[in-house]
Amino acid sequence: MKNNANHSLLGITVMALIFMAFSCAKVSPKKLSTELLPLQGNPLVSFRILLSVGSASDPAGKEGLCAMTLNMLASGGSKTLPFKEIQKKFYPMAGYVGLLVDKEMSVFVGTIHIDNLDKYYAIFKDMLLDPGFREEDFNRIKTRQLNFVEKTLVSNMDEQFGKEILNLMIYEGHPYGHQEAGTVESLKSLTLDDIKAFYKEHFLQGNITIGLAGGYPADFPEKVVKDFSALPEGQTPKLKLPAQRQPKGLEILIAEKKTPATAISMGFPIAISKASPDYFPLWIAVAHFGEHRQHLSLLFQKIREERGQNYGDYAYADYFIQGRDKFPAQNYCRQEQYFSIWIRPLANSNRHFVLRQAIIELKKLVEEGISEERLELTRTYLLNYTKLYAQTLGERLGWQMDSHYYGYQDFLAEVQKRLPTITREDVNRAIKKYLNFRNVYIAIITEDAKSLKEALVANAPSPIKYANPNMPREVLEEDKTIQIFSLDLRAEKVRIAPAANFFQKSGLPKTE
Amino acid sequence: MNKLIPIAFTVFLLLVVPAALQSSKIFPYEYKIEELENGLKVISIPLNNPYIISYYTVVRSGSRNEVEPGRSGFAHFFEHMMFKGTKTIPLAAYNDFLTKLGAGTNGYTTDDYTCYFVVFAGRENLEEVVKTEADRFINLYYDEEMIKTEAPVIEGEYYSTVSNPGRRLSELLRDTAFEKHSYRHTTLGYLKDILDMPNQFEYSQLYKKRFYAPDNSILLVAGDFDHAQLMDYVRKYYGNWQKSNYTLVTPVEPPQTKAKRAHFDFPAKTAPMIAIAFHGPAYSDKKIDKAALDLLAQTSFSSSSPLYQKLVIEEQKCLNLGASFSDRRDPYFLVFNATLKDEKDLPYVEDEILKELERLKREPVPEDVLADVKSNLKYSFADELGTTDGVAGMLAGYISLTTDPETLNRLFDLYEKVTTADIQEMAKKYFNKTNSTVATLTGGKAK
Repeated sequence: MKNNANHSLLGITVMALIFMAFSCAKVSPKKLSTELLPLQGNPLVSFRILLSVGSASDPAGKEGLCAMTLNMLASGGSKTLPFKEIQKKFYPMAGYVGLLVDKEMSVFVGTIHIDNLDKYYAIFKDMLLDPGFREEDFNRIKTRQLNFVEKTLVSNMDEQFGKEILNLMIYEGHPYGHQEAGTVESLKSLTLDDIKAFYKEHFLQGNITIGLAGGYPADFPEKVVKDFSALPEGQTPKLKLPAQRQPKGLEILIAEKKTPATAISMGFPIAISKASPDYFPLWIAVAHFGEHRQHLSLLFQKIREERGQNYGDYAYADYFIQGRDKFPAQNYCRQEQYFSIWIRPLANSNRHFVLRQAIIELKKLVEEGISEERLELTRTYLLNYTKLYAQTLGERLGWQMDSHYYGYQDFLAEVQKRLPTITREDVNRAIKKYLNFRNVYIAIITEDAKSLKEALVANAPSPIKYANPNMPREVLEEDKTIQIFSLDLRAEKVRIAPAANFFQKSGLPKTE
Repeated sequence: MNKLIPIAFTVFLLLVVPAALQSSKIFPYEYKIEELENGLKVISIPLNNPYIISYYTVVRSGSRNEVEPGRSGFAHFFEHMMFKGTKTIPLAAYNDFLTKLGAGTNGYTTDDYTCYFVVFAGRENLEEVVKTEADRFINLYYDEEMIKTEAPVIEGEYYSTVSNPGRRLSELLRDTAFEKHSYRHTTLGYLKDILDMPNQFEYSQLYKKRFYAPDNSILLVAGDFDHAQLMDYVRKYYGNWQKSNYTLVTPVEPPQTKAKRAHFDFPAKTAPMIAIAFHGPAYSDKKIDKAALDLLAQTSFSSSSPLYQKLVIEEQKCLNLGASFSDRRDPYFLVFNATLKDEKDLPYVEDEILKELERLKREPVPEDVLADVKSNLKYSFADELGTTDGVAGMLAGYISLTTDPETLNRLFDLYEKVTTADIQEMAKKYFNKTNSTVATLTGGKAK
């Protein structure tokens, strides 16, 4: 046996975890909040500076302003240091400032070794509290953001493109109804004055939560709070969102482009979030139906495993962004949510069949609910899998923040408490209450959209061919039902627009 | 098995990252290595985080092993087949086990190796994981029909990347720069070979026999467990895995004798891209070449480098600029790449990159810049060690190269020894025009 133990570090590696009680504090709605997770002995410090403002606060005609403004902080210079100097100073310490912008919140993130905490924080603080707002940064960041909406999103990432079209459909005319990065038209019209005005209006103490985790000195939070207290007191009023528009029947929008593969996303608004007790049984139902990138997903089993149609098929009970590995990312909290299904790209020849199959599976879920056996399997899975959610400093802090947003002390602990008590009746009641298969927005990216539309409206049979000549009989029998299943679509329910026309202006492009 | 763990555990999940930078060695954790009689190497890293265990199996077979015509993408395809179960634990039972375990599980394939991991909570589940994983590596079973059903999934995976211009450029660059070596194709493989996968049942059996063997695999386990207990389970369940004794011979890439160039017309609108490659050395923790080129990529093409500042921040002709030199078992290539704002600037950016490489031959990089790079590498490394998965995932790549975790410490020792003169020497040695391949990509008009 070869033992290469590194004895010099033994003392360090066995260092005990010493947790102090985490804390969150807000003395007044107009003042700063803090979320602290001190971990003595840890050589890393994680920052999450959360702003309770997101793209839903973009003024009409200035879509993308929030993201542009915050990017000017995260990727631009401060008054004292041009961005290139910041990059030079950050580089030897492997420092960075990351930014996530969602509809109603945005967060600046960074992790730094304790050796460099003071040097890093001095720059980080100035980037956020004393931004340079230089013309050259503005031009660079605007070009980058324009490139994203005009080219990358439309041409280079069809899976994400499909999800974004679904968002446009669900939230047409709603503050959520534009991509966080904005539109080509709005971005071109933004000025540096717009950026400065947005910063002044929203970078207020009451909008900011200072999140810190790791081995920072005991007096560090106080110092950060003191620095950020230089911001004006005040708070952006909480957004009063209009009711979400429910689809009437199946409403299909096809983005047409030259492509060998078809991407599909579908969904509808649901009046529920993690804050609701009903979320837990609904979560079980949706995990059973389509857990993200897991074999548990029934859709995955039926479409990929049984039939080999594509790389995967999943469903979500609320807005989902993948974080580390396959786990959910944090700080994407929203007041309004939607249920969605993600069908990964598949051969164009099989698009009609798989669309039918997804709707049929949703129909079965709604009509038949979950079995006792699947409930137990899914419950056990979620109870164990969620234990892996918060492993890094940033994740732990992020979940702490999200827990408080939705009214929990610790959402992940709540999962352990609530899931064991949920019955099959609870799950099936939640399915009936929140899910349906008749009224669904469906976004499709494909080529030769006209032939798909004709086939859909005519309810044309959509048989598929398998490479395997000996497919199981039960699969082939099921296929006979799927391939003629009526989606009950009239021509006006299937709209087509060229892919290149998306994100040019606010809202959906003109369709044929 | 699959016992539930008390609620309170969530408070204690964080892994204490040792203050690695105070140590003389970059990899700060204790580890143990043992080898079974059948050649299976076991690397265990007991860590101080309660409950979480990352269980990795590294098979030293990747697209590098696809040396026969028509087999590109096979290592990745076989990775998919590894999830099909055995006669003892069929597919449904295997999935049921992992689902109940609530494990984070998957596999991935690279040029040099294929990795399978199960990340789970609870040391009481360790024996079942060892037993189940051993069973599928020793007794994997699938029939011809299963392979025909799985093969189109690869086609779907290929489709999920087809709209990515970076992937297209990478495919083109490899295919142009390499002529003989299997690094010529990506891990997904050529589409024509993907489409033929349903017919590859017999070859898949041969592939398994050659490469899915204990003498070509490493178990890497990190987290909350007892080493002796782990070894008891490993001996019990992996002991009868039969050696392969197969020796792979990879084609030797002949020296490049003239500059190459290729272009891809991407059908949709996209930002133009350029990649300039030079053949370089294989991974080594002993010879200075690879380590010096790693540092060169950073001194001259990182976000703090003068060229990045010029092209991205000041002139704003590029959306990004970078360089990469991945660690590979056989000689690989060093790639300089940029995404541009405007197609008309492609010749300018190409010229700027080549001028920078020429300058590196003439002038040594400043000492303080090299010191900054060494510092960045160490602090970046410390940031990766926050989870059992971070530790195991990072180490998997290194042990695939040499089978020895100590290579990481040797590599960082080598980085420390690299001088500005070494970097200058390597620039002269490798950046010759006849050794270069330039690949460009521009977008068409979207419909």
